[in-house]
Amino acid sequence: MLEVRNLSVAYGGLRALSDVSLSVPEGRFVTLVGPNGAGKSTLFKTISGVVQPVAGAITFAGQDLLARRPSDRAHLGIAHVPEGRQVFKTLTVRENLEMGAYPKAGHAHWAQTLDRIHTLFPILADRAGQLAGTLSGGEQQMLAIGRGLACAPRLLMLDEPSMGLAPSVADTIFERVSQIHREDGVTILLVEQRVAEALERSDHGYVLETGHIVLQGRYETLLADDRVRRSYLGLTEA
Amino acid sequence: MDLGILVENVLNAVTAGVTIGCIYGLMCIGLGLIFGIMRIVNFAQGELLMLGMFTSFYLVSEGRILSFLGPYWGPFIGAMCAAPALFAGGALLHRFLISRVSGLRTVGSLDEGHFGQLIVTLGISLILQNGGQILFGSTPVAVRTPLSSQAFEVGPIYQGATVFLNKAKLVAFFVAVLAAVVLYLVLEYTRLGKALRAAADNPTAATYMGIDVDRAYRIAFGLGSGITAVAGGLMATYISFGPFVGFDYVIIMYSGVVLGGMGSIFGAFWGGVTVGFVQQFSALVLPPQLQNAAMFDVFLMIVLLRPQGLFGRSAERA
Amino acid sequence: MRQGAGPHLRRSLTVLAAVSIIYLLATLFVTNSYYQLIMTLVPVWALFGVSWNILSGYGGQLSFGHASFFGIGAYTVTLAMVYWGLTPWVGIPLGMLLAALAAVLIGIPTFRLRGHYFALSMLAYPLAILYVMQYLGFQEVSIPMHREHGLAYMEFAEPRIYTLIAVLLLIGGVVVSMVIENSRFGLALLAIRQNELAAEAAGINARRWKMLSLVVSGMLGAVVGGFYARVLLVVTPESVFGMLVSAQAVVVTLFGGVASVWGPVIGAAILVPLAETLQAELGTYLPGIQGVVYGIAIIAVMLLSPDGLFWTVRDRLLRRETPHGVSEVTGLMPDAGSGGQPLAAATRPASRGSGPLLQVERLSRSFGGLRAVSEVSFEITEGEILGIIGPNGAGKTTLFNVLNGVLAADQGSARLDGRPMLGKKTYGVCRMGVGRTFQVVRSFPRLPVLDNVIVGAYGAGMSDRDAIARAIRALEQVGLRGRAGVAAGQLTNKQLRLMELARALAGNPRLLLLDETLAGLGREECDEVLAVLAQLRAQGMTICIIEHTMHAMMRLADRFVVLDHGRVLATGLPRAVVEDASVIEAYLGKKWLTRR
Repeated sequence: MLEVRNLSVAYGGLRALSDVSLSVPEGRFVTLVGPNGAGKSTLFKTISGVVQPVAGAITFAGQDLLARRPSDRAHLGIAHVPEGRQVFKTLTVRENLEMGAYPKAGHAHWAQTLDRIHTLFPILADRAGQLAGTLSGGEQQMLAIGRGLACAPRLLMLDEPSMGLAPSVADTIFERVSQIHREDGVTILLVEQRVAEALERSDHGYVLETGHIVLQGRYETLLADDRVRRSYLGLTEA
Repeated sequence: MDLGILVENVLNAVTAGVTIGCIYGLMCIGLGLIFGIMRIVNFAQGELLMLGMFTSFYLVSEGRILSFLGPYWGPFIGAMCAAPALFAGGALLHRFLISRVSGLRTVGSLDEGHFGQLIVTLGISLILQNGGQILFGSTPVAVRTPLSSQAFEVGPIYQGATVFLNKAKLVAFFVAVLAAVVLYLVLEYTRLGKALRAAADNPTAATYMGIDVDRAYRIAFGLGSGITAVAGGLMATYISFGPFVGFDYVIIMYSGVVLGGMGSIFGAFWGGVTVGFVQQFSALVLPPQLQNAAMFDVFLMIVLLRPQGLFGRSAERA
Repeated sequence: MRQGAGPHLRRSLTVLAAVSIIYLLATLFVTNSYYQLIMTLVPVWALFGVSWNILSGYGGQLSFGHASFFGIGAYTVTLAMVYWGLTPWVGIPLGMLLAALAAVLIGIPTFRLRGHYFALSMLAYPLAILYVMQYLGFQEVSIPMHREHGLAYMEFAEPRIYTLIAVLLLIGGVVVSMVIENSRFGLALLAIRQNELAAEAAGINARRWKMLSLVVSGMLGAVVGGFYARVLLVVTPESVFGMLVSAQAVVVTLFGGVASVWGPVIGAAILVPLAETLQAELGTYLPGIQGVVYGIAIIAVMLLSPDGLFWTVRDRLLRRETPHGVSEVTGLMPDAGSGGQPLAAATRPASRGSGPLLQVERLSRSFGGLRAVSEVSFEITEGEILGIIGPNGAGKTTLFNVLNGVLAADQGSARLDGRPMLGKKTYGVCRMGVGRTFQVVRSFPRLPVLDNVIVGAYGAGMSDRDAIARAIRALEQVGLRGRAGVAAGQLTNKQLRLMELARALAGNPRLLLLDETLAGLGREECDEVLAVLAQLRAQGMTICIIEHTMHAMMRLADRFVVLDHGRVLATGLPRAVVEDASVIEAYLGKKWLTRR
C-alpha cells in the first residue's frame, strides 16, 4: 500500500535519510526502529509532505504521493500521529477529534467512528469538553491516536507514541494499537525507539541508523539479532 | 466639587466607557485574530480600521448607494458592509504579501518571521495612509447621522446627576456586541472556525489533518480585517476622521490584545473594553491631547509589567 | 580595531571623500531652490539612516521610534534659539546631550522587551512626546532670523552652504559608523543581532552594548534633527516626531542595505530625490505620493532583497569575480596560509587544586510539573572528556542551559574549580572560563572566519592585539588557520562546527560545553572533528559533550553520564555503561532484556 523507494532527504547540508526503501503492504503492521537521530521522524515528515526529499519516490495505493500537496495527503487516507503528540492544545478533546475527521472520508460514518474511538479510549469520552493542553501525556497520546482514527484511515502512521510516557502507560498504548490493527484491519506503520515492544506486535521490521536501513526482517529474526543492540548503543564498526 | 457633578461625571464616564469600550473591543478582536491567534504582527491594522470608516462613508454619505436606507439605518448598515469589502481586501493582502513572511514559511525561525512582518506591514501602512490621502483628501469627514447629536437622558438619579446615553454610540454598541457574538459563534461552532483555530494552534499538525494552512490563515486574516473594518464603520458615526486616523488606534489595539492575553480572541474583546474604560476615565482628569499620550503609557506599562495579559486561556502555544 | 581594519578603512574613507567632492561639485550646477533643498535633504536623511542603523541595523534592535531623537534635536535647537537666543552651533550639541539622556531613560525599561514588542514600544515614545508637545502649545515654532550674524547662527543666504554642512555632518556620521563597524563594539552588536543568547554565552554583556548603541544612535539622530530644524525654519510636532520621520530612517536604511556603512547613503540617494521630486511634480494631484513611494520601496526590498540593495549587489559582484568564492578580505590577512610558526604550547593556567574541575550536586530544574533535570550529580576531572548521553528528551540540553546561566536552577549547586557557577548571568559564566557551543551554528556569513572567532576573545575581555592572537591560535587548534580570511558563508558544515568550536576556544575556557557538535556529519567528517577534540584533550582541555552519535562517543569519551527523564541513570566507563541493564532498558525498552 505504501512504497518508499530510494528516498534521500537533506536539511541544509545534513543528510537525514540516504537511499531509504521500505514497503508497507496492505493490512500489515510494519515497524521502524532505530536510535536517536536516525531519521525516523524525518521519514514521516516526508511522507506527510512537511519536508521535501532530494531524491526518491513515495507511492500510496499506486498514486505518486510526492506530486500531491501536503494538505491533500490526509484526504487520501493517510493519518499521521506525530511525534510528541502535537494535539491542538487550545481546542477541546472533542474538537481535536473533529479536526481529525476533517477529510471528507471522516464525515461518512462519523457517529460510528466516534463511538469506536470512545470504546478504545473511554477517557476521551469522559473528557470530551476539556482543553487538550491540560491532559496528561498518556491521555494526549490517546487523543492523538483517536484523532488519527477519526478519518477512518487506510494507513495509520504513529511516530514514537511511547516517548516521554511511563512504561505502564506506554504498554497500554501499544495494546490499543495492536487492537486497532487486529479488530479494524487498519494498516499500521509504527516508528519506535522501544525495540521489543514495537517489534513483537508487528509483521515486519526495519532498523534505521543514521539515515540508512541497516537491518530488516520478521520480528523473531530481529529480536534474536544482537546487531540491533549494537546499533543503538554505538557499538557497530560499520 | 459638588457631589452631584462628580457622580454625574463618573456615571457618564462609565457609560461612555462601556459603549466605546465595546466598540474598541470589536476593533481589538480583529487584531486578536491576526496577532493574538496567528501571531502575525500587523502594523497596518489601523489602516484597515480607517478603510472601514471610508468604505462606510462612501457607501452612505458620499456615494449615496445606501442612502435609501435613510440616515438612521444607513450608517450602521454601511458599517456592516465594510466587512465583506475588507475581508476581500485583507485576504488579497495576505495572499500576495503577508503570506510571504508568515505561516509555515517562518515557523521555527528565530523570531517567527516578525521582522519581515513588521517591515512589510509598515510598507502597507504607508501606502494605505498616503494612498488614502490621495484618494480621499485630508479634510476630516464623518458619516452623518442625526443620532450622533441625540441622546437618551437617564435621571436625575442622585444629587441631580443625569446620565446621557448618546444614541449613535448606543446603536454602535449594540452592533459591535452583535458582531462579536456572531464571530464567536462562527469560531466556536462551525467546521471552518475550528479549522482556523487548529491551524493557528499548530500549523504542522493541522497540515497532517488535511487542513490547508495557507488558506486558513488567509481566511483568518480576512476575517480580522473585516471585523476591524466594521468597528471603524461604527466609529465613523461619532468621530470625524481622515486618512491618518488609523495611527491613533494602533496602539490602543495592541494594548487591548496584549492586555487581554495573547491567543484569546475574547480576551482581546475584554482588553479593548478595559482600554476604552481607561480612556474615558482619563478624560475626566486629562486634557484631550494628553489622553492619547496616556494611552501610550498604558501600552508601555502593560507590555512591561504584564505581557501575559489579564484574561485569556492558559493553554499557551509553546 | 579588527584585523585588517586599517587598509579597509583607508579605502572606504577615500571613496567617501571622492563621492562627497563630486556631490558638492554637483551642487554648483543646481539652481532651482527646491532641488537645492533636496540636495541638502539627501545627506540629512542619509545621516538619519546611519544613526538608526547603529541601533537597529548592526544591533538588530528594530525600532520604529527613532523620531524621538530627531524631534528632541529639532526642538532643542529651535526652543534654545527662541527662548535663550542660543545659536544652533550650541543648540545641536545640547540636543545631543538631551538625546543621550533620553536614550538612557528609554533604554532602561524598553530593553527588557524583545522583537516586535520592542519595535512597537519604541513607537510609543515619539508619539507620546508629540502629543505632549501639542498640549504644551508648541504647535508651530519658527526659528528667528539673524541675518546680521549669519555665521554665528548658522544662517546662510546661500543654500549650498547648508548642503556643505549636511555633507560634512554625514561624513562625520559615516566615519563613526565605520569606526564602530570595525571595532569590537560593532562585532558585539552583530553577535547580539545574530543570536543574543549565543553572544552572551561567548561573554558579551548584551545589555551594556545595546544601551551604548541606543545612546550613540540617539545622539546622531539629534544632530540630524537639529540641523533639519535649522534648514526648514519651522518645526511642528508632526514634522519631527511623526511616524513618517521614523519610517524614513527605516525605509532608507533597509532599502539601501542594513548593517552596512553605505546602505543608508545609497537608500537616501535613491529614495529621497525620487520621493521629493514626485511630491513636487505631482503633489497637487497626488498628495502623499511620498509615503506611497516609501511604502512600495520597503515592500519590494523586503520581498526581493531582504538585506538591502548594497548587499544584493555586492554578493552578485563577488560571485562573478571569484568563482571559488574566496571573499575580498583574504588579501588583508597577514600570512594567511603561509608556513607560520610551530604550534605554541598551550597556555593553560596551572591546575589550581586537586579537586575536580566541575562539580555538580543534586541539580534540579522543573518546568511547570515536568522535572526536566532531577537531582543530577556528577564530576569532571581536569583534562577528561565526559560524554552526556541519553534518549531523546532526557534533559541534556536543559542541564547545559542551567550550567551556562541561561536557565536558573531550582535546587542544587555547580562549582567550577570550587567557585559557584549558578546564579550568574550567562556572560559571567563565560568569563569564569566556561565555553559553550550550540546545536545550531549561527555565523556571520559575510565576515571572514577570523572575525567570527574573535567575538569569543572579545567576550573574554582581551585587548585587541591579544584577541587577534588568541583567535588565530584557536583556529590553529581546530585546523582552520588556512581559512581564516574566508567568508564564513563559504564553509562546509564540518568547518562551521569547527569554527564554532574555535570561537568558544578563543575565550580561553577551562571547560568546554559542546552540544551535539557531531550531529549530521558524515563518517569521515566525524572522524576529523573527533581528532580535533582528542587533540584538545591532549593539550589539557576539559570537555563535556552531549552527543547522540554513539559510535563516535564510544571512541572519544573517557567516561559517560547517562540521563533519562532528567535523572542520572549510570556513570562510568563507556564499555561498562553500555552493558548496564538500566541503560539498555532506557534505550531499547524493558522487553529487550527479557525477550528470550
